[in-house]
Amino acid sequence: MKFLIKFILVYFFIVSINYSQNTFKGKIINQKGEPVLGASVIVLGSSSGTSADENGFFVLSNIKENIIDIQISAVGYEKRIIKNVQPQKQINVILNEISILTNQIVVTAGKFEQNIQDLTVSTVVLSPEIIKKKNYITLDELLRNIAGIQMNLEQVSIRGSSGYSKGAGARVLVAINGLPIYSGDNGDIVWEMIPTNDIDRIEIIKGPASSLYGSSAIGGVINIITKTNTKNALTNFRNYIGFYDKPAYEVWDWSKSYRKFFGTELTHSNSSDKLGYTFSIKKFDNDSYRQSDFYKRILGYTKLNYNFNENDNITFFANYLNQNRGNFLYWKDSRNALVPKDEENGNTVKSNRLFTGIVYHNVFDNNLSADFKASYYKTKFTGYGVEITTSTADLFRTEAIANYKYNDKMFFTGGIEFSTANISSNIFKNPSFYGGAGYFQLEFHQIKNLIATFGTRFDLMKLDTLNVKSAITPRLGLNYKIDNNLVLRSSIGTGFRAPTPSEVFTTAGVGGGVDVIENPNLTYETSLSFETGLNYSVSNQYLLDAAFYQTDYNNFIEPNLTKEGDIQFINLPKARIQGFEFLFDWKITDELKINGGYNYMWARDLNKKIAMKYRPKNSFNFSARYTPSQFEFGIDYRFSSKVEEIDNALVQPPLALVTDGEKRVPVFVTDLLFGYNFFIMNIPTKIFFNVKNLLNYNYVEFIGNIAPIRNFTLSLEFYF
Amino acid sequence: MKNIIKIIPVLILFISLSCNKGIEPGEPTGPFGFSGKVTFVGKWPAGIKRTHIVVFKNEIKKVEDFFNYFSFIVDSIPNGAKEFKYNSIDNPFNPNIKLTPGIYSYVVVAQSKTPEITLIRSDWNVVGVYCINGDQNKPKPLIINQGQITTDVNITVDFNNPPPQPPM
Repeated sequence: MKFLIKFILVYFFIVSINYSQNTFKGKIINQKGEPVLGASVIVLGSSSGTSADENGFFVLSNIKENIIDIQISAVGYEKRIIKNVQPQKQINVILNEISILTNQIVVTAGKFEQNIQDLTVSTVVLSPEIIKKKNYITLDELLRNIAGIQMNLEQVSIRGSSGYSKGAGARVLVAINGLPIYSGDNGDIVWEMIPTNDIDRIEIIKGPASSLYGSSAIGGVINIITKTNTKNALTNFRNYIGFYDKPAYEVWDWSKSYRKFFGTELTHSNSSDKLGYTFSIKKFDNDSYRQSDFYKRILGYTKLNYNFNENDNITFFANYLNQNRGNFLYWKDSRNALVPKDEENGNTVKSNRLFTGIVYHNVFDNNLSADFKASYYKTKFTGYGVEITTSTADLFRTEAIANYKYNDKMFFTGGIEFSTANISSNIFKNPSFYGGAGYFQLEFHQIKNLIATFGTRFDLMKLDTLNVKSAITPRLGLNYKIDNNLVLRSSIGTGFRAPTPSEVFTTAGVGGGVDVIENPNLTYETSLSFETGLNYSVSNQYLLDAAFYQTDYNNFIEPNLTKEGDIQFINLPKARIQGFEFLFDWKITDELKINGGYNYMWARDLNKKIAMKYRPKNSFNFSARYTPSQFEFGIDYRFSSKVEEIDNALVQPPLALVTDGEKRVPVFVTDLLFGYNFFIMNIPTKIFFNVKNLLNYNYVEFIGNIAPIRNFTLSLEFYF
Repeated sequence: MKNIIKIIPVLILFISLSCNKGIEPGEPTGPFGFSGKVTFVGKWPAGIKRTHIVVFKNEIKKVEDFFNYFSFIVDSIPNGAKEFKYNSIDNPFNPNIKLTPGIYSYVVVAQSKTPEITLIRSDWNVVGVYCINGDQNKPKPLIINQGQITTDVNITVDFNNPPPQPPM
């Protein structure tokens, strides 16, 4: 009997050794630090698996192996594989939102929620996470890597819509939650104003959108959609430090030191039953690689959201930017490429900007909803140089929008808006502006697989002494799903753009004795555009998109040299931009993804029969991202061909304002990214190291302005 | 890993395209410009307010070329002068109007009856041309090299034998 008992004990001991069961535990969160409820956890090579609970925790028990590989996946997130997982350690995993969103819902194209596959215009949706990973300090840096979008310094151009005019007027409407953020005086976009830490997604409409958005959208729309409030308290702290490398040539090394930059950002978000809030403060300074080009910025941001009930909510947000910066206009010459002209050295600009907006959303029933939006944008700057320049502008804007679903086959969107601006300035005079508009768009689903949209907008505006001007901008669009993966789209529409107060009334020196003079005869520019495109996507694996586009402009507004040697904005009689664009996005494996695009653009002043200024014929971009386990590696590459035409009047005699200003080259820029996601005391932490302009390639986006030289950044981010 | 190896040649190709440094600093230069003298023959016309040496990038074949090709202007020549020696560095009309090294195909002496300087063709009368072998029908190109002063840019103004006028 004793033998039998010993035998049984030994047997069970041996069995327990052979069949010892391991338990693996972990937590799964997203990039916002929120638990990913229901995330699937599978042990690779077995049928074992589980899912995460409401707090993101999971437990894999009764696992025979001591070391396993697990796969974690969730709807809307990139799949991750973690190798060599051991039972005694807690596995903490951060899931990234997927980059290819074939079923992405967007609100910009039609001012109501639509599936991106149902649109009639080229649309791109960007995830904000890339801004932090690549340590883009402002949003415009991100846009440089999007095919069809070109940045000339701070001025954005979609498919060649804009050249460069020192910020005086834009042809792309940039908005936060649909509220435009162009300033009242020069109509420029201040990218530093955009709260990058509260962006949910960025929707970009590539092509004229005047039929819904009016004057400033003649070249397209960039709409920044802010995040919804977190359900639980979440604090995000981010800090970055970096420095510029030495310039490529010793003769350019004006400072004999490594120029530094840093930023720190604290954001807190929470919500109760009905009230949600986000507060953020950001301080970011940059010594700059150029002399007299520094900046010191403080950005404060707040957002409050109150849900009266499930159909009724109101959102208020405000951001305030205080900035003190150098005012680098042009280099001294190519031997002093990082130093301004002597007479401009030491020029500074101080500015304060306050943007507030309120959005009230009401759902009446399943078929009818309405939004009321209002915004106030106050801008004030003072430029210190030989002369002191000042401008203060107040811009009020209101809009009421209604969305009505007549039946399953017909949708209506309509709205009215009103805006007014008052300017007090010693360079733009003191003009005032009034504008009103009404618009509607109908969307039909009458024919199987075909979506047709028709809309038009009527604008009436009065800019100070200019005559009252009205414009009607109709647009027609078609979307045909050839099969589940292949979509054909096409649109034709008109656009118009009113000259900004700065284009009409500016009277100021731009250095070297050259003056900008007013042009009260400046008139409105109009456009007729056409686009057709094909989109092919397979699940979240591949995405191919090709588009042909053409826009004819009448009275295109551009700066020009007068016979008296001054610069004045004038109307070019006719201009045409034609192009072809190809985009691809390919998830090769769960860990390796590539994407890119090519754009060919032919932009011509039809009267002078020359190229339009600052438009590259060819541009190409490519990105690859490899994410093994908790690591991330990325590379971004962009190319654009040498621009044919520049502001020759500023470069050549008799003015020759910018010595060596004709020097320009094709653009080749390579950026690198290294990242690691981990936990410190159970706090999700991210560390990123970036190298921008890896090969220290010297190029200009605008005459006499060398783009940022090679620089290195280290950033650290915590969520708690 | 195989996939990574596949895309590496593509990356190398892209990056190799950017291996040059792009924009380079220009060579150090000294002052550059041109000098010479203008000789006047005959009686000055009445009512002249301005007389200048004017440099154009190309010959003037259309009225608007007068504006489009205008490149430089030397300081005003005193009324009634018989000879005027000049240097583009010492005698610019306006220091903000600058020359750059290059070839300028049409250099003239022009007179205006307007007190203010303009670039309107009809305000000016060409009275002398920098030319080949004294033939005012054959303008001589002015070549300005980096770091050099081009000398002997001499023009004879014969009020009794005016040169052909560009389109007006």
